Amino acid sequence: MGAAPAQLFPEFLANAVGAEGLLAEVVSSLIGATVVASIILAFSGVAGPWAKRKITAAFTDRIAVDRIGPFGLLIIPAASVQLLAKELIIPEGVDRPTWDIAPIILPASALLGFSVIPMGQIGPLNIHLADPEVGLALVFAFASIASVSLVMAGYASSNKYSLLGGLRAVAQNLAYEIPLIVTAMSVVIFAGTLQISGVVGAQTETLVTIAGIDIPAWFAFVNPFAFVLFLTANMAEIGRNPFDIPEAPTEIVGGYQTEYSSAYFVLFYLGEFVHIFLGGAILSVVFLGGASGPGPESISFIWFVVKVWGFFLFTQWARAAIPRVRIDQLIEIGWKGMLVLSFANLVLTAVIVGVIA
Amino acid sequence: MSLERPDPVDDGAVERTPDELEALLGDLVVDRDDHLNAPGFVIRPDTVQETLSVLKEQAGYDHLSVVSAQEYENRYESIYHLKKYDDPTQEVSVVVPADKDNPVSESAEPVFRTADWHEREAYDLIGIEYDGHPDLRRILLPETWQGHPLSMDYDLDRPQIATLPEHANPLQEHHKDADSDTMFLNIGPHHPATHGVLHLKTVLDGEQVIDVEPDIGYLHRSEEQMAQSGTYRHQIMPYPDRWDYISAGLLNEWAYARAAEDLADIEVPEYAQVIRTMGAEMCRIAAHMLALATFALDINGDFTATFMYAINDRERVQDLLEDLTGQRLMFNYFRLGGVVWDLPEPRDEFFSKTRDFLDQLPESVEEYHNLITSNEIFQMRTIDTGVLPPEVAKNYGATGPVARGSGVDYDLRRDDPYGYYDELDWDVVTEDGCDNFSRLLVRMREVEESAKIIEQCVDLLEDWPEDERNIQANVPRTLRPDDDTEIYRAVEGAKGELGIYIRADGTDKPARFKIRSPCFSNLQTLPEMANGEYIPDVVAALGSLDIVLGEVDR
Repeated sequence: MGAAPAQLFPEFLANAVGAEGLLAEVVSSLIGATVVASIILAFSGVAGPWAKRKITAAFTDRIAVDRIGPFGLLIIPAASVQLLAKELIIPEGVDRPTWDIAPIILPASALLGFSVIPMGQIGPLNIHLADPEVGLALVFAFASIASVSLVMAGYASSNKYSLLGGLRAVAQNLAYEIPLIVTAMSVVIFAGTLQISGVVGAQTETLVTIAGIDIPAWFAFVNPFAFVLFLTANMAEIGRNPFDIPEAPTEIVGGYQTEYSSAYFVLFYLGEFVHIFLGGAILSVVFLGGASGPGPESISFIWFVVKVWGFFLFTQWARAAIPRVRIDQLIEIGWKGMLVLSFANLVLTAVIVGVIA
Repeated sequence: MSLERPDPVDDGAVERTPDELEALLGDLVVDRDDHLNAPGFVIRPDTVQETLSVLKEQAGYDHLSVVSAQEYENRYESIYHLKKYDDPTQEVSVVVPADKDNPVSESAEPVFRTADWHEREAYDLIGIEYDGHPDLRRILLPETWQGHPLSMDYDLDRPQIATLPEHANPLQEHHKDADSDTMFLNIGPHHPATHGVLHLKTVLDGEQVIDVEPDIGYLHRSEEQMAQSGTYRHQIMPYPDRWDYISAGLLNEWAYARAAEDLADIEVPEYAQVIRTMGAEMCRIAAHMLALATFALDINGDFTATFMYAINDRERVQDLLEDLTGQRLMFNYFRLGGVVWDLPEPRDEFFSKTRDFLDQLPESVEEYHNLITSNEIFQMRTIDTGVLPPEVAKNYGATGPVARGSGVDYDLRRDDPYGYYDELDWDVVTEDGCDNFSRLLVRMREVEESAKIIEQCVDLLEDWPEDERNIQANVPRTLRPDDDTEIYRAVEGAKGELGIYIRADGTDKPARFKIRSPCFSNLQTLPEMANGEYIPDVVAALGSLDIVLGEVDR
């Protein structure tokens, strides 16, 4: 990073009003967290009822929502009211506390992940809540709590389809989390730190200059192979085609979320979208230079938005175009293919970095 | 007994005269009861297996099309309509009378697997019991149903309430054994992958399917009974549209038209035959497009673009059919002896619209190949899954794209020509893969063949002299086919051999109207394809069978 590192969001808030001490820290952190969560929830609110429909419609030669509001945008409040007004049906025999907690864990875990994600700047405001030294490890830890929620939902629903979905979720996450993290490790070797600002900072230098345009040293350009591996594992992590098998509506009727309705369903749905955005955020932090992009640093929030929405668009494209693999094929790809490739990548990177450094 | 007969080789290709067949069967035959389409041999109810084995193994009759059962004043009767896969014009009917008071006859299941469901249906609707049947239960009606609806003493006015049977206990003894721990799973009747109200009773070991049993009848609408209470001339024709309602209406109508026209000896004008051929092939394209679309849903998931693309193409055929028939789904366009009206005016506009569609079709098919069949994940999912070997397919009486996907070269349009097909230049499509992928490929290639047929029909129709455009033969206002004439006739529907058996009793309504549904026979093969595979493969196999529950249950 060129200039002095920008202040983190809570510090900025505390300094702005000149408050100090523990209370100020707590309050400013809470305010910061609320702002960040609101941004992400707003993304999901736009994505779920509106953008997803519009994008899928564009892929499938349809028009989708266009009746209320400009471009059908008012479907967002309308859908919110409609979804929340639905009756919550609690099936007989569900394992109550577990069944109720599961839909809360999914969006919560994904939102937690955003606590360490640098989301770029709006003017002097640096939207970045915390920057611990183990930031990257932390964000993967948060992201993988999601599978706990899926297992809880699958088990507690007392439904065989849900159970199958839960089992599939575990199998899938085990098979893909390891390659995902091992691939991220290769980036850590490059950057020499787990701190997220360090990982992002390592990507700000210029890799090459082609025809007067500086190509930054984003790890996606430095190691495209690792990028593709990570992208694939990330798709499995967030459970989108070709890896949407824990839900697989045409096979197991929605898997773990089969029995959920009303607000609980919304929470799951929301959690999935937050999870997709978290996946996009991790991808941009680790491989796409965080929130950096052309132009002054004060507008870098825009680049962050572009990157995570770009990833969202990519997931929807995959949904429209790619068939779903079978569960045994998925396990095979994960354990026999991705795992081996990711370790090969790790070792190679380590050797190369060792030789150069 | 059969060992003594001098018949060394399986000579399926040799055509035998009825008398030679009678000689071959020897004293198994107690009487002759010839049908319009085939010689009929009456046999004793305890020699069914023996007779059918002789016909299957020594005379090459390897296709049991259908079992039609009925009740007479003095007896019950099951008719086994046999054909050859190599030459379906060689037919023979085996007539098995059963005692009026104690209707029992031997089951044909050990000889032809397909007899399993057909005999269950006969038991369910007529009340004949089949001795030696492995699993003689009701098939279309609920298990608690009282009486047999197509039998003579059945009280149609008595209301019946079918209660829901208690849910099968997943931990019952037979779902578990010493080595494995299995789970019973109800797939359907309301499930996204069953394409209708089909119920699959599935036993799983983890994700693997150990046993799957289709449970049908949720969409049973007494179509046979309704046809039996309609008059030949006009009242029956609307019903076929409602069997395979996936826009295969004209193909179904043709099945009735063909059977009734042959029964009443009606000649259809050539011009009407060309129109029929064109309309029927349009229906086939529409039906296959939907099969492709829903198969993509099964494999890709419910946001796939392929589904809407195929529906768009189907929509264009649907528009053509609407122009032609005035209806989009329930066409009711055929009449005995012709069609209801001529091509829409202005004719040129219809022709150019049709040609536009045909011109754009290769591009669409190319796009489907790009999107799905050449996709590696798609191939991984479909190749070598849901395998149906040709011998098994024949044993189950599978027809249509399901049989052709297993390399069984059987297409009634070519092998038992009707309409204008034998005048046109087209090919029967077969694939040898025997898997889900082959069945899909067969449908995609058949779409192209159908397009070829339509194009030739359009050429013919364009140049047809104006004063020879005869769309309807002279048919009496009331049709009364002769008493005690029986016929079984089939056409190549979208899903396979769609046949109709009619027995006339001298009145203007059929005494027995039996529908041979291709989906019914094809669905029977599902356990063969699915056992031992994973759940997603069962879904794929079911999708590749392309069943329509309206036709399975009738």
